[in-house]
Amino acid sequence: MKKLVLCFILAALIVLPITAGGSKEQGADQSLVKVVDKGVFVLGLDDSFPPMGYRDENNEIVGFDIDLAKEVTKRMGVELKLQPIDWNAKEQELNTGNIDCIWNGFTITPERARMLNFTEPYVDNAQVAVVRNDSPIKNLADLKGKSVGIQAGSTASNAVYGNEAFASSLKEIIEVKDNLTVLMDLEIGGIDAAVLDLFVAVDNIERSGKNFKILDEHLSTEEYGIGFRKNDQALRDEVQKQLLAMKADGTLAKISTTWFGTDITVVGR
Amino acid sequence: MGKLLALMLTGTYTSLKIFFLTLIFSLPLGLIVAKGRMSKIRIVSSLVNGYIMIMRGTPLILQLIFVYFAPYYIFGSSTDRFTAVIIAYAINYAAYFAEIYRGGIQSIDKGQLEAASVLGFSKIHSFTHVVMPQVVKRIMPAMGNEVITLVKDTALAQTIGVAELFRVAQNAAARQFSTTPIFIAGLFYFIMNAIVSKSFDLIEKKLDYYH
Repeated sequence: MKKLVLCFILAALIVLPITAGGSKEQGADQSLVKVVDKGVFVLGLDDSFPPMGYRDENNEIVGFDIDLAKEVTKRMGVELKLQPIDWNAKEQELNTGNIDCIWNGFTITPERARMLNFTEPYVDNAQVAVVRNDSPIKNLADLKGKSVGIQAGSTASNAVYGNEAFASSLKEIIEVKDNLTVLMDLEIGGIDAAVLDLFVAVDNIERSGKNFKILDEHLSTEEYGIGFRKNDQALRDEVQKQLLAMKADGTLAKISTTWFGTDITVVGR
Repeated sequence: MGKLLALMLTGTYTSLKIFFLTLIFSLPLGLIVAKGRMSKIRIVSSLVNGYIMIMRGTPLILQLIFVYFAPYYIFGSSTDRFTAVIIAYAINYAAYFAEIYRGGIQSIDKGQLEAASVLGFSKIHSFTHVVMPQVVKRIMPAMGNEVITLVKDTALAQTIGVAELFRVAQNAAARQFSTTPIFIAGLFYFIMNAIVSKSFDLIEKKLDYYH
């Protein structure tokens, strides 16, 4: 009898998270009303993802995405709350309502689009390989038999694993928590190349002054979007509306120029 | 589902490798450290004491990062990441085991050693045949605690890119956008620790030969 009860409890533990996601929030879409009533919009991010969202010298979270979000929430008349999360637990954070959206250089992928409600793309991105300056590696084919590092749960992992011929040509794929550790690993020679977002790579090389270079050949091109819970249509539409308005009055171009020197946004394309 | 389980079993295999290799190195190392800590030579005992203070006073996750990354900045070369994990875990756990051994050894009455010496036992002989058998019996519950903690601590190895069970589960969770793999991993850890607890129960029963 005791064993039976234990079995039931264990089974419930496994099944619960599967069903919990779907059964909640039926009926009218209260997402926007809820945020406006609370007066707080909670943005989930990996706070070690420069230049999209990271901590500056004063330990304040800053970044291109943060500036965008500040402007959007100002126009919505709500307060912006930045919630650092473990990038690998982002699904749980969103599903359990700890955050209202994931807005942090978040690439739109088919799998994510099935589970989440994305805005239209606002920036185009690419996955690139970074190597040490003195490395003989010139293109992706040269990475055959080499070790490649990526951030676990990131789209770099989709880009690498998604290209089966490329992934199987590698000696090993090393996955760690954040891009910073990936680049440290590259510096000490633990890996031969790091795969990460183009903007992140450019920004990191520029600011750290490390002896890295980006290969001209890209692994994949992709688009950044803001991810909401599947049912939160009203909230997603409101943010999209604000982004379009910011594109129209030039605010987006202004924010982009301060971070990248040029307007990289593609809102309303 | 079958593919997921297969993946998680390879992760479990890595976790188990870390677990057993750590035990193989840290159990004897702990005994040496314990002897050093009790040494009558001041310099030895204070050096060993400092080592134990550092190992117990800083987070294991930090020691992992240090063992893997620091050699490059100090010597200009680095170790393989799996080796770094085993080194970090072994020296960390040796410090904890050493204190458990020391507690056990010091709990044995000095009179027994004096009696052994009167009977003509050498120092080493009396340690291995009089003191240690009793120590092993006494420290079992405390050892069980540490070994169970070690099973769960293997999850930290992912910090420097070793794909153990929890990393595999988190990757699967990210891929499928579901929490299920994480809960399955929890079940795996639970089963591993159930086996560890059961083994310690058996060993304790086996050693309980005077009752």
